[in-house]
Amino acid sequence: MSYKPELTGRWWLKHGHFKRYMLREATVIPLVFLLCSLLAGVFSLQDVERFSQWQAYMAHPLVIIGHTVALGAALYHAATFFVLFPRVMPIRIANYTLPARLMVAGQWAAVLAVALLCLWLVTGGRV
Amino acid sequence: MTQPRTCYVDISRYDPERGDQYPTMQRVQVPYDDSTSVLDVLQYVKEQVDSSLSYRWSCRMAICGSCGVMVNGIPKLGCKDFVRDYVAHKGVGRDHAANDAPALTIEPLAHFTGERDLVVNMDEFLTHLEAVKPYIIDPASRPNNPSAATHSQTPAQLARYQQFANCINCGLCYAACPQFGLNPEFVGPAAIALAHRYNLDSRDHGKHERMQVLNTHDGVWSCTFVGFCSDVCPKGVDPAAAVNQGKVESAKSMLIQLFKGSSIGDSRS
Amino acid sequence: MKQRIKGLHLEPLWWGLFSAGGVCFAVLVPSVVLVFGLLWPLGVVDVSFTTLQSWYQSLWGLVFTAVVISLPAFHAAHRIRHGLHDMKIGYGGSTTAFVCYGSAMVVTALGVIAWWSA
Ligand code: SF4
Ligand code: FES
Repeated sequence: MSYKPELTGRWWLKHGHFKRYMLREATVIPLVFLLCSLLAGVFSLQDVERFSQWQAYMAHPLVIIGHTVALGAALYHAATFFVLFPRVMPIRIANYTLPARLMVAGQWAAVLAVALLCLWLVTGGRV
Repeated sequence: MTQPRTCYVDISRYDPERGDQYPTMQRVQVPYDDSTSVLDVLQYVKEQVDSSLSYRWSCRMAICGSCGVMVNGIPKLGCKDFVRDYVAHKGVGRDHAANDAPALTIEPLAHFTGERDLVVNMDEFLTHLEAVKPYIIDPASRPNNPSAATHSQTPAQLARYQQFANCINCGLCYAACPQFGLNPEFVGPAAIALAHRYNLDSRDHGKHERMQVLNTHDGVWSCTFVGFCSDVCPKGVDPAAAVNQGKVESAKSMLIQLFKGSSIGDSRS
Repeated sequence: MKQRIKGLHLEPLWWGLFSAGGVCFAVLVPSVVLVFGLLWPLGVVDVSFTTLQSWYQSLWGLVFTAVVISLPAFHAAHRIRHGLHDMKIGYGGSTTAFVCYGSAMVVTALGVIAWWSA
């Protein structure tokens, strides 16, 4: 004689930690939307006509909103993902473990560097 | 002496011998001061209110790991969790009995089978623990062959696994883990953390045997790094880190098996 | 041979792709969506078709496909698969995995086709 409550599919609504976990997992939903947009983009690079169609699509207000959500999702994902790295693969040199904070900061520096590189690339250095 | 402050507490009650089908909540009024722990509350209830209340405890100092309960839905050690932290935000010194909303809800550990009141079936965790052989395996060390050198260890070798050796087998991490809740076959945080602890031990030669368990779908691969297990662990073990370091080890071990036909740490290879 | 593959499965592969895709999602995707999804449509920066096309037709185009489209797709597939399991949706097990990782493979194939025909 015993009692075992079964978990329902809504267990993650129980408290904040689980909700934040589900939010982290849900960051891939706007990512999928972005990937579809990008896939359309690379196909449109075949001629100018289709490229300007893609440009019009990318400038649609709803699409801009979707991509703004995707940017937020990417940053939230980054914030949750970077702190995991030092825990999954701690870097040990001799008897010294690299401080987790340093590894997290390094990853954010990479995000910033890529952003600057991207801006420099598309503007051709004319900033 | 001033009157002691009091508050209301809801305690989950379940007694199959009385014919209960499912747990019900019992509300009790308890006195508390700044040093009253959740375990003290339970002890007060058993002595003063209802002697039929069942719960586990032993050391009262966060060492034996037997007093795990859910407090307001979060896994806690009863002896390490204090009433003051739940009533504080409502204003210290107020008489909380004035409004009879319970400050605390105490339930048995989630994801385990409840046996009676706050007592759960810990075998559901212990069988997983047993499966990963959480002890040093060293074929060379026999009672008749005591080689001192085998068991000496440098501080650096100790540092590799020390964090994961602090586990007290309280099972809070299992009550925090939704993957264990969804799939009771999942080996789970503490057992994998202890497997990792012995795998990292320079005196151990049993990695191959443990990897057989960790490599399975119900081993490290059931984990999605929810990470709540590490948040609730009273000993700072960080079992989530151990499980995910275990994924790296498992990936290595399976790759080596694929190419060499025998896995990492295989003493027979 | 039996002994060699006994107990092996593809989880390490999916997890590896998920992790690599996670790094790309975190490090590269913010910039890409910032530039192409916001700054360009809002007219803050200008992207010239010819520059973009010639850049894309080089080997860099394939690298872009791999790290900004394909790997993040595998990352998404992995999380969707586990998210469905978490919410107890679908048949679970191999069906969900097949659909999720299959979709990521289709996305990868489309990306390669686009680059090849550009
Ligand atoms: S890992 Fe922490 S929470 Fe889990 S059983 Fe050990 S001490 Fe308890
Ligand atoms: S009574 Fe021993 S850990 Fe709480």
